[in-house]
Amino acid sequence: MNETRVTMLIQQWLQGELSDAEFGELERHLKTDPAARTAFLRAANLDSALRDRAARDDHMRAWLAHQPARPSSTRKLFWPWGLAAAAAIAMGVFLIGGVRPRSLRPALEATAQGTAVLTQTIDAEWAARGPRRTVGATLPPGTFTLQKGLAQIEFFSGAALVVEAPAEFEIVSSWKVLWHHGKARVKVPPAARGFEINTPGMKVIDLGTEFGLDVDRASADARLQVFSGEIEAHPTTGRQLNLTQGQGIEQRGTSISPLGTVRPQDFPGLDHMRDLGRERAAAQFARWQAASLAQRRDPRLIAYYPMQPDSTSQRLVRNLAEPGDALRDGGAVGAAWGTGRWPQKGALEFKGAGDRVRLQLDGEYQALTLACWVRVDGLDRRYNALLLTDGYDPGEPHWQIYENGRLMFSVTYEDPENPAQRRNQIYYSPVIFDRTNTGRWHHVAVTYDNRSGAAIQYVDGVEVSREVHRFHAPDRPVFFGPCELGNWGIPLTGHQFPIRNLNGRIDEFAIYSAVLGAEEVRAMYEAGRAE
Amino acid sequence: MATSLQDPAPENSGYTEFVQLLVSHEPRLRAFLRTLLPDWSDVDEVLQETSLIAWQKFGRFERGTSFMAWIASIARFEALEYLRQRGRARRVFSPEVMALLADEAIARTEPFEHERHALERCLEKLGNTQRELLLLSYRPGARFREVAMQAGRTVQGYYKTIQRVRVRLLDCIRQELKEEAV
Repeated sequence: MNETRVTMLIQQWLQGELSDAEFGELERHLKTDPAARTAFLRAANLDSALRDRAARDDHMRAWLAHQPARPSSTRKLFWPWGLAAAAAIAMGVFLIGGVRPRSLRPALEATAQGTAVLTQTIDAEWAARGPRRTVGATLPPGTFTLQKGLAQIEFFSGAALVVEAPAEFEIVSSWKVLWHHGKARVKVPPAARGFEINTPGMKVIDLGTEFGLDVDRASADARLQVFSGEIEAHPTTGRQLNLTQGQGIEQRGTSISPLGTVRPQDFPGLDHMRDLGRERAAAQFARWQAASLAQRRDPRLIAYYPMQPDSTSQRLVRNLAEPGDALRDGGAVGAAWGTGRWPQKGALEFKGAGDRVRLQLDGEYQALTLACWVRVDGLDRRYNALLLTDGYDPGEPHWQIYENGRLMFSVTYEDPENPAQRRNQIYYSPVIFDRTNTGRWHHVAVTYDNRSGAAIQYVDGVEVSREVHRFHAPDRPVFFGPCELGNWGIPLTGHQFPIRNLNGRIDEFAIYSAVLGAEEVRAMYEAGRAE
Repeated sequence: MATSLQDPAPENSGYTEFVQLLVSHEPRLRAFLRTLLPDWSDVDEVLQETSLIAWQKFGRFERGTSFMAWIASIARFEALEYLRQRGRARRVFSPEVMALLADEAIARTEPFEHERHALERCLEKLGNTQRELLLLSYRPGARFREVAMQAGRTVQGYYKTIQRVRVRLLDCIRQELKEEAV
């Protein structure tokens, strides 16, 4: 066989780029030549291995896309700027779904209008109007007013900005920004050469560099300082100036004068953001830890899984409700340990169709509260499991997310008129999960009281639904028994929706034998929230 | 919907065993389907269908025989069925070639894990930029053209780069396996 030719044909087949004639040629080789078949199988195996490998790296990439300057704790990665932006786009625009991304595509097209990703903020407060400004959000063109704090914005072009409040600017595209006033440090990698910032009196074109820009709100006077590389400054009046490292200019009205010194330390940069971000994460983690230690002593707990990986057994998911009950420890199947709300926090990642945590929770209860921190990466299934009892026998609850993004709590009982039949009491929340909040940590909780029949659902500490089901009859007990987190144990042969694995992460799960009050749910959220 | 939630007591306790087998064979099964189907989204569809059918038929699986061979035969049938239903002819191999590929793919299950380990070593040998560029295009659901554009490459240039890197990896893997065998 002509090895080079066959190699080329195989590579193009994998890419879906073969013409009909070339395809025929490849097929002839495969039919007659065992060496060609071996080469083909090898290449397909590599293709598959690379895809598995890339999926496995997802969690790392998600973290890096949020904090590009921070090396991963588990494996050091070089991360070129253009790629960081590409990965952020990949995450934000067309790649939220893990297992079956195709089903999410129609909904995702809408965000293709984005220009940049808000990757990190420190104490940021934005003027109230306008699109969402949560970390991880894709920013559409428009005007942004930062009233307080710091914000890091990474443009799809590759340019990155650290903005210090007070500041106001308008994003025109991923290549162009109008800077009304305020302070920014701009970093432009070679791939984003030509990135343009317009101040009231000047157009600045970046030729691959790092520079500081400060525009006074009242006078619109501007100062420009180059820390590395080169920029072109085009004043509205006057000639073009080329500035290189260590040079700066000051514009007052129509006059332009050179600056004696440049002061990079006056402009908070990516390193500064990273350090502050680390400090912030460490402080929040410590706050959560303290709250978690207090929470474990709550006698109403049936089980409490703070989900920190255990050094003695990677597969053990410890129940840390006090006094300890090892019989209620969980067993992780498939699900791998990843990063939780903060880099210090562990989480179990549910990706594969078999991933789950097995639990055995005996007892009979009159009320319950389920509460967990979850990061939903995509709603791949009709039903996406949080906690599901195996049999769903009378008195057993199910807690899951329906494919349309509604939380769904249910409990089944026998039909009093026809005991052979079951009646499902299903309680839906409004739509909670959509493409704007997948990939982020949320606190979800539900309480159920078998006397009043009320099920109350909470998201991020706020009540989102409250309902007494029409099938409710008082004082029927609740059971768990064998059950699991993130999947469904024993669906029957031929069941219509047997696969219910969650696509996402869980990093804390608490199960109570009582109804927690709204204040308590709120406090749990406040103690564990990550900025 | 209510009916879908109504489940009588479980009668089949092989589920955990099935899931464990499926999870441990899934990568290999996916690679197998990749040889038969021209597109990753086809692979994902057929894999899902295959898992469901395999679960339904799991009672008939003979313990002690090869799970891979068993589920691969289901997957092969499902792949053909899938292509037939969609009337897809373009870039789909003839049944004869498919049969050859399927038989050889199942027969060479042994080197599979070795190849994966060799891949890890070879990925390490690539430059960081190349490795990341390559893996970026493999993220599940990634659309090649968009990734190429966002990485600041022309689509054709990006294709060429990826192909070149893959061929380099194949050569490297072959070398690694040769050394292992010695």
